[in-house]
Amino acid sequence: MKRICIILLAIASFSCQEEVNLPLGTIDSTVPVIEAIWSDRPFYNEVKITLAQNYFDNTEINVVKDAQVYIINTRSKEVVPFRYNQGNLSYIPVETTKRAEIGESYQLFIQWKDNQFTASGEMLAPPIVDSLTHKYEKERLFRDEGYYIKVYGKIPYQENNYYRIRVIENDTLKNDRDDYLLFDDTFGLTFFENGLELNYDFAEGDKVRMELYRLNKEPYNYFTQLVSLLYNDGGLFSPPPQNPDTNIKVISGSSDVLGYFSVASILTESVTIDGKGD
Amino acid sequence: MKRLVLGYNPYLCSMRLTAGLSKFLFIFLFILPFPELKAQETKVFVAQVLDVTNSSPLPGASVYWENDVSSGVVSEIDGTFQIGIKTLPARLVVSFIGFETSIRVITSKDFDKPQRFFLKPEDLSLDEIIIQETNPDQSVRNMETGKATVPIATIKNIPALFGEVDLLRSLQLLPGVQTAGEGTTGLFVRGGSADQNLVQLDGAPIYNPSHFFGFFSVFNPDALDQVELYKGNMPASFGGRLSALIDVSLREGNNEQIHGEGGIGTISSRLTLDGPLFSDKSTFIISGRRTYADMFLKLSSDPDINNNKLNFHDLSGKLSFKLSERDKLTVSSYQGSDFLGLDDEFGLGWTNWISSAQWSRNISDKFFFDLEGYHSMYNYRVEFDDPDNGFEWKNNLSESGMKGIWTFLRSDALQTYWGFQSQFYHFAPIRLVPAIDSSIDPLATNPKNGMLNSLFAGMTYEITPKLSTEVGLRWGLFNQVGKGVDYLYEGGVLDPGSSIIDSVNYKSFENIKFYQGLEPRVAFRYLFNDEFSVKAAYNRNFQYVQIASNSSAGLPIDRWILAGTYVPPIRADQISLGFFRNFDNNRWEFSVEGYYKDFKNIIDLRNGAQILFTDKIETEILKGNGWAYGTEFMLRKNVGKTTGWLAYTWSRSWRKTPGVSEGLKYNPRYDRPHDVTLVLNHEFSPSWSAGLTFIYTTGQAVSFPIGLYNVDLQSVPLYSKYRNEDRFPDYHRMDASVTWKNSDKGRKWKGSWNFSIYNLYGRKNPFAYEFREIYNDNIKYSSAEDGPIVTSRQGVVMTYLFTFLPSITYNFQF
Repeated sequence: MKRICIILLAIASFSCQEEVNLPLGTIDSTVPVIEAIWSDRPFYNEVKITLAQNYFDNTEINVVKDAQVYIINTRSKEVVPFRYNQGNLSYIPVETTKRAEIGESYQLFIQWKDNQFTASGEMLAPPIVDSLTHKYEKERLFRDEGYYIKVYGKIPYQENNYYRIRVIENDTLKNDRDDYLLFDDTFGLTFFENGLELNYDFAEGDKVRMELYRLNKEPYNYFTQLVSLLYNDGGLFSPPPQNPDTNIKVISGSSDVLGYFSVASILTESVTIDGKGD
Repeated sequence: MKRLVLGYNPYLCSMRLTAGLSKFLFIFLFILPFPELKAQETKVFVAQVLDVTNSSPLPGASVYWENDVSSGVVSEIDGTFQIGIKTLPARLVVSFIGFETSIRVITSKDFDKPQRFFLKPEDLSLDEIIIQETNPDQSVRNMETGKATVPIATIKNIPALFGEVDLLRSLQLLPGVQTAGEGTTGLFVRGGSADQNLVQLDGAPIYNPSHFFGFFSVFNPDALDQVELYKGNMPASFGGRLSALIDVSLREGNNEQIHGEGGIGTISSRLTLDGPLFSDKSTFIISGRRTYADMFLKLSSDPDINNNKLNFHDLSGKLSFKLSERDKLTVSSYQGSDFLGLDDEFGLGWTNWISSAQWSRNISDKFFFDLEGYHSMYNYRVEFDDPDNGFEWKNNLSESGMKGIWTFLRSDALQTYWGFQSQFYHFAPIRLVPAIDSSIDPLATNPKNGMLNSLFAGMTYEITPKLSTEVGLRWGLFNQVGKGVDYLYEGGVLDPGSSIIDSVNYKSFENIKFYQGLEPRVAFRYLFNDEFSVKAAYNRNFQYVQIASNSSAGLPIDRWILAGTYVPPIRADQISLGFFRNFDNNRWEFSVEGYYKDFKNIIDLRNGAQILFTDKIETEILKGNGWAYGTEFMLRKNVGKTTGWLAYTWSRSWRKTPGVSEGLKYNPRYDRPHDVTLVLNHEFSPSWSAGLTFIYTTGQAVSFPIGLYNVDLQSVPLYSKYRNEDRFPDYHRMDASVTWKNSDKGRKWKGSWNFSIYNLYGRKNPFAYEFREIYNDNIKYSSAEDGPIVTSRQGVVMTYLFTFLPSITYNFQF
């Protein structure tokens, strides 16, 4: 799409960009932003609560440190309390080994000042990842030359197929708006068995870790809407920008809320680009 | 009498008419008396022929009735003439060497006051005839409100983007017509969206009337005869869209000799040929245009650009046959395509192909019959040649139809028409076909089909010499029919997460859902005097097809949807009131028109709606209502060395859709309350002329962020829950052009040069705003070229297009 835009703008020639000042509105109330991940990997489990700020406010993001956070297993009614961790600037389970179990459903509760929030999710079984391979490829359309990794595996599920892949290259998470690799079963899942190519050109010696999340539908939709918003240029070809639909509900209080609660199974695999390819 | 029985169609009476409609048709078909045969007296028509450039009389001009050439007279020394006539209305031809011929329809009303014919000096070809279909005082006298015509000659004189004369962009200069944004050809008429416009060429609808993602319209101006824009108040013989009818006609070839014209422009060239076909009773015209943007791409040193293709072309033609003194047959066709190719791996192309045929029969001097059939097809195709994920994604939609109209001119005071129209819509499945060895699965939606059968009738009646009315009724009967599938949802809830509990398969032409609607059209005109009138109108329109989109610009892959089980037809009611005043012997026209328009069942999309491949599109849309109102002022000068218009529109447009903007009213993007347009053209001499346009409008209604937050390691703009509460800065722009013509009338080849500048004073009108992080104070920061990130802050980056864009075009005729 970027390349199409380049061509369109080339033809339009004479198109230009410049930075401008626009008088923007301001936030007239406190809006908490909740990012909650509850997975089968204790390392990833945390709840971040921050506050939205005005657009041109360059101060540090306000972190909410005085909330009460816990997750309940809706079947067993087991309560997993969270505590604030200054090192992570987030809430983590008091018992750090606690994690989500496949087949169980969970509900998140957050109490902050007069506001109560809740969200729920189901822990789905992960897909099967057989192997990661890499191969040197010449320059192709939309892809530069370099080493490309393919993920081989199998997704044996008929429903709830919502996935996200995150890539960490040499300990650096790829986290630009271009780096959201989200897929569902709209176009089938055969491509996962035949090898899903990660859209990055790596160099020899790179250490690459892949994280594969199996998500619930709501957080998957949240991420797709987030990507759409990050690409929304406010132009004629874009839909009116809207905040992604959160799956977090307000139980009490007058505050709005942003963010998501994701219950996900996570698979990780690593590979080192050794130059031999597959 | 037998032929008049044609008007009594037994089929009509066999239908289950509602009581109101039955009564209406009964009045039309039986109560209205048939023409009486009686000896007619010869009347004498008196008028004067003048030079339009200086109003001086033209002695020696030839004047004759078109249907009786032997009746001709010659104008006197003072330009006056007298000519007898028995039967009215009749077409009077006024010609003079070195001037364009004028043909005007004369009715008995034209005997009430002195008439003048202003002839325009011939500057193109001695053979060219400009048909002046309307009288100079038509804006005051006729019944139409909300109708605008722009002569093709005027459109050609308007300064154009890239020098490409563009019909739709010219219509954007009329009051009540808004544009979505810089350079685009989409029309937003009186608060309606672009898909609420019926754009038709020789009676056949065009589903995507634009090239190059909306920057150019599909019409090659050299091939056009005329364009009429109805801003909602369309006659009962037209229907199917809510907001506007843009009725474009291809011109017919001349019947004397081969004639050609064309042009070589900055981005495209065009050529049109016309002439007699087999004899002087049949003619042809064929016209083509092609861009050469590909060549500019190849000039780039960037392989990301020079390995690509980008072009469009269009080809149109029309054949006319005079079968007898009373019968005429025309056949038209248009084909136009766009293609965007990246290397040899990715391709996006789309094509419009329409064909139509029209048979016109003059049953008598007062009774006419027109029958037309058409087929309109639109398709797009996306190809991706990739060893792992290659595919071909394609879709096509078509509309076929037939329309018959009987027109009966009972007298100068009473004119009636009635007829039928049948339309068949076929929206083929959207198919995604994987390439060989591709890992993605095939995908196909179910087809959608619909039949719209309409009956209509109308009349124009002069109640008194001052008070006239035009009344019409259209009755649409719509069936969504098979072959197709309807889904049943759990609890009847339409939501992306809703479970399907059953699906119903329908065979071909099996009824799935039926809708019907009466569409009354009423207008009154009161003539205070020859130069001042007041008009009022009420219109109701139903629309059974629409685009499921919430972006403002049309895309080639837009998803058209039909009314059906879950999507009701959309409806608009419009009332309007207008004051029309002419000055200085009709040299100046001034009008004020106000309107209020109400929309029902218009759709919007859910947040994050996935519409391109879904077979359950009803779960992705939201239904709501809307309303629009406004006042349009226009001052226009049509004759003299300086022509043009000044228009101002104040208007508002609103939507209210549950699920959008907290269920409260909001403005669509094209709500632009203030809109000023100035269009000027001046002829300095037979060789030199110049054009100037100026546009000022309120900025588009948009949503800007009110805040910022961090989620998933992204800085995300925070938007208000209320849509489009902000505005782009006001838009304004001036364009200018200068044309030099070879005025040597003795030469066969006549050339002209047009030099135009788009955005003369280089106004930076925003095309888009991006709200994003700016690294190292460089909006074009690249990690590969600009080193590590040292600073980061939020910023606003504006994109703007087309500042001071000159272009040159060479036009020719032979």
